[in-house]
Amino acid sequence: MKPSLPRRQFMQGCSYAIAAMAGARLTNLAFAQADNPSDTLVVVFLRGGWDALNVVPPLQGDDRGYYEKARPNLRITDLLPLNDQFGFHPALASLHDLYQAGKLGVIHAAGLDFDTRSHFDAQEFIELGTPGAKNTTTGWITRHLQETGVSSILPVVSTSGQPTSLLNFAPTVSISTPSDFSQWGNDLVGSQQTALRQMYQGASLLHQAGARTLDALNIVHPLTEQEYQPSNGANYNDDDLGRQLKTIAQMIKLEAGLRVATVDFGGWDTHEYETDGNNGYFGDMLGQLSAGLSNFYLDLDSGYTDRLSVVVISEFGRRLVQNESYGTDHGHGSVMLTLGGSVNGGQIFGAWPGLHNDQLYDHADLAVTTDYRQVLGELLSKRLGNSNLENIFPGFSAKYNPLGIYR
Amino acid sequence: MTLPLRSKITRRDFLKLSGTLAASSLLAACSNEQTPTATQSPVEPQIPQVITPPPEVVNLSVPLAVAVLNRMGFGPRPGDVDAFNALGSTDEERLRAYVEQQLNPDSIDDSEFETRYNAASFETLHKTHEQLYADHIANNPYDSNDDAYWQWYSKPAYELVDATFLRAVYSRKQLAEVLADFWHNHFNVFFWQDDGVPLLVSYNRDVLRAHMLGNFRQMLEAVAQHPSMLYYLNQNNSSDAGPNENYARELFELHTLGAENYLGVRDPNTVEKDANGLAVGYVDNDVYEAARCLTGWRVDDDLGDWEDGIEKTGNFIYYKPWHDRFNKLVLGRYIPADQEDLKDGRDVLDLLASHPGTARHIALKLARRLISDSPSEAVVQSAADTFLANKDAPDQLKRVVETILLSADFSLTFGAKIKRPLEAAISTLRVLNTDFTKVPGGVPWMLSMMGQPLFERHPPDGYPDVKEVWANSMSLLYRWNFAVGITENWQDDDEQGRRIRTDVYSQTPAEIRTAEGLADFWIPRILNRTMSETDRAAIIAIMKQEYGPQETLPDDHVQYVLPAMVEVLLMSPDFQWK
Repeated sequence: MKPSLPRRQFMQGCSYAIAAMAGARLTNLAFAQADNPSDTLVVVFLRGGWDALNVVPPLQGDDRGYYEKARPNLRITDLLPLNDQFGFHPALASLHDLYQAGKLGVIHAAGLDFDTRSHFDAQEFIELGTPGAKNTTTGWITRHLQETGVSSILPVVSTSGQPTSLLNFAPTVSISTPSDFSQWGNDLVGSQQTALRQMYQGASLLHQAGARTLDALNIVHPLTEQEYQPSNGANYNDDDLGRQLKTIAQMIKLEAGLRVATVDFGGWDTHEYETDGNNGYFGDMLGQLSAGLSNFYLDLDSGYTDRLSVVVISEFGRRLVQNESYGTDHGHGSVMLTLGGSVNGGQIFGAWPGLHNDQLYDHADLAVTTDYRQVLGELLSKRLGNSNLENIFPGFSAKYNPLGIYR
Repeated sequence: MTLPLRSKITRRDFLKLSGTLAASSLLAACSNEQTPTATQSPVEPQIPQVITPPPEVVNLSVPLAVAVLNRMGFGPRPGDVDAFNALGSTDEERLRAYVEQQLNPDSIDDSEFETRYNAASFETLHKTHEQLYADHIANNPYDSNDDAYWQWYSKPAYELVDATFLRAVYSRKQLAEVLADFWHNHFNVFFWQDDGVPLLVSYNRDVLRAHMLGNFRQMLEAVAQHPSMLYYLNQNNSSDAGPNENYARELFELHTLGAENYLGVRDPNTVEKDANGLAVGYVDNDVYEAARCLTGWRVDDDLGDWEDGIEKTGNFIYYKPWHDRFNKLVLGRYIPADQEDLKDGRDVLDLLASHPGTARHIALKLARRLISDSPSEAVVQSAADTFLANKDAPDQLKRVVETILLSADFSLTFGAKIKRPLEAAISTLRVLNTDFTKVPGGVPWMLSMMGQPLFERHPPDGYPDVKEVWANSMSLLYRWNFAVGITENWQDDDEQGRRIRTDVYSQTPAEIRTAEGLADFWIPRILNRTMSETDRAAIIAIMKQEYGPQETLPDDHVQYVLPAMVEVLLMSPDFQWK
């Protein structure tokens, strides 16, 4: 992997004294990639329960008939075919390109196989990795990193606070954008940091967060010095998702051993006025998702995608039948997406349960035929160097049956 | 029956607008000096355990005044600790007197706040709900293609933000402010709620503040019938032809019984009943049936001029043509067909408000806010008992809060929580004796950088109330930056004529001029307690720079360095606990 500009800046940005003090850590930096054989995992969580049936609707046949009948005002047309059975919503054109290029995989009727239609329960169960048990005190990613160990100085970045998947993982650094992540102050800020370093020694969550913040300020500071130039002409939207993914691309290119990044993208709880033909609110949301992910992939297709695994997940799909406010209520089965250089892309994975009333979950929603842990389990064992699934998803390993999503 | 697609006010329009209003005075000075840092040893791989014990319980021994003023309020202003201590000769006497005073806010002399409030000359906050609707929604005099239209539309809500900062900092009715914040989070609505942004004012005033020391059942109905909630959770579009479940679901899950009483997707006939024949928890079917009971509860807002019997008052109405008249089954209780107007929905609210599960849920949430992230079973149960024993009392919620505040746990658990961002920001302004009338846009902006933009929690669950969420680097960094921005007076917005002023130098006695002396004056002033010896030494080190700790410092040195020292006290872990 070629040396990246920001890393040289990091060296230059440090005063001589800090470079000397931080020698050991710079060594860690240099060897971080060699020490870390696994992919960088990027989890994009779509909060609110996205309408999977309008993301990947059926193209034809009986299921298309049930779909159209249930959604006289919300049905999506002019689909971008994925195979002879399903297509993408037309707003996903750039993800469709990645699908055709074999970089993107689709898992239909995937999700949380647990009886709940609550946003908050479903998100929590998915992120804790223990469906049905809320008293778990660590997130699934926390357990993965505890199991495999972290040795780099910037192992985990969250661009939207502290997600439950990283519950009680103290080394997490949350950063919205590098330019926002700077400490205000006059030329006494160095003295202030020395005092803060002293005061934030301690074992509590608060103390650890403070110490981690001071570490991260040192690492991220060089990125604030000049505007980031994405590779390959990638042009991120100036929206919430675009900013988050751009930040993560910068962190990956720091080559500081980033193992996991988490992204939240909310606004999917479409109880009313979901679509206007193929356009409207939902089309806008998918357009943002498509632009965000495709620019991210393009930007990192500069030597980083072979070790990149992006997973897109939402807490559930939505009801087959539209409601009277031109929206859809909370449902069950959903769609997951996987993106990366090692994805066996260009395929739809998972068994299709069908949309006939007898095939629906609770006679209302798309059923779940692929437990979300099948996808994450395969990712863990094939791409993240962790085959001890029982520790990550207790009680699940006996059911583990990889779908062949990853090489 | 179908609804026409209405022209929607998009959130993006608002964001464009709010950007022009708020972001003019943001000053981000960045450090160009880096500090040597100790090498952090890598985290050791651990044996994974799924159920690990909670990370820590921090119990700090602090004067009772510190616990009281940080938990029943947004931290002390200068003089508050002395005033608290003068309330009695023992801690117990003082606590009782303070709780009594704060639970009767009308008895409190609030003249300083009132003077500032009058000086702010708010244009819209005095308007009734109907006036807000008429002036700012139905008859907005501007063209919707102009910025002026959106400024006029959002003005009441922005004034509410201004007034909320003003109250939280200067009002002596501190517990009322804490509870208003609590209930806005409990019955969360989103600021940029498409159809009703100006109505946030009447929601906050006529619903939340009007009932927060009153009766829960009455509050629940006031919430259920306020357009802010009807719009936010799509109840406004819920008709018998296809009920919208959004409000009904959150009514069960967030507003009353709580997710702890959700039994999932199950046959309702399999749910166990309590002694009164009431289901012990709820299943999806209860949500659907409740949604049917509530059909026809909507806003009188015929924006499209097409519905019979609908006008444009912006008030709640019961729209009978949309109501599902047939019988329903909720929590095991049969609700017959063709009841009188509103009765189906009111029956649901009655069942929920008197359910023991609701009592526990409200008790838990209040205790979590006022005491600890994980309050003891004893305090939760005693507050729930108070809730049920007073379920018809006009001051039910006052009694529940009183039970929590006078519990043994309240005084003994300081450090069990860290301040939420709003509390961190407001307590900074209070302890520094900062002067403002309307906050410049940079103040709410920094609160959003900490992760808690005021009234802008988009999901219906309100901002989380546990430290795991707030002990993150971005949130903490902007607490630090807030301390700097305020203490250095970098937040003025000259374009809007909004100034915010802090002067730590003039608040320091002129005779104190050594680094040690200044540290020993400002440590108790900010924290109302001492610091550890090593932390104190770190504070002195900032103040002294190249001078000796007991050397008399030149005045220009004090003027320049003192703010930096005070900032670090505000950034310290000690200032974050509550």
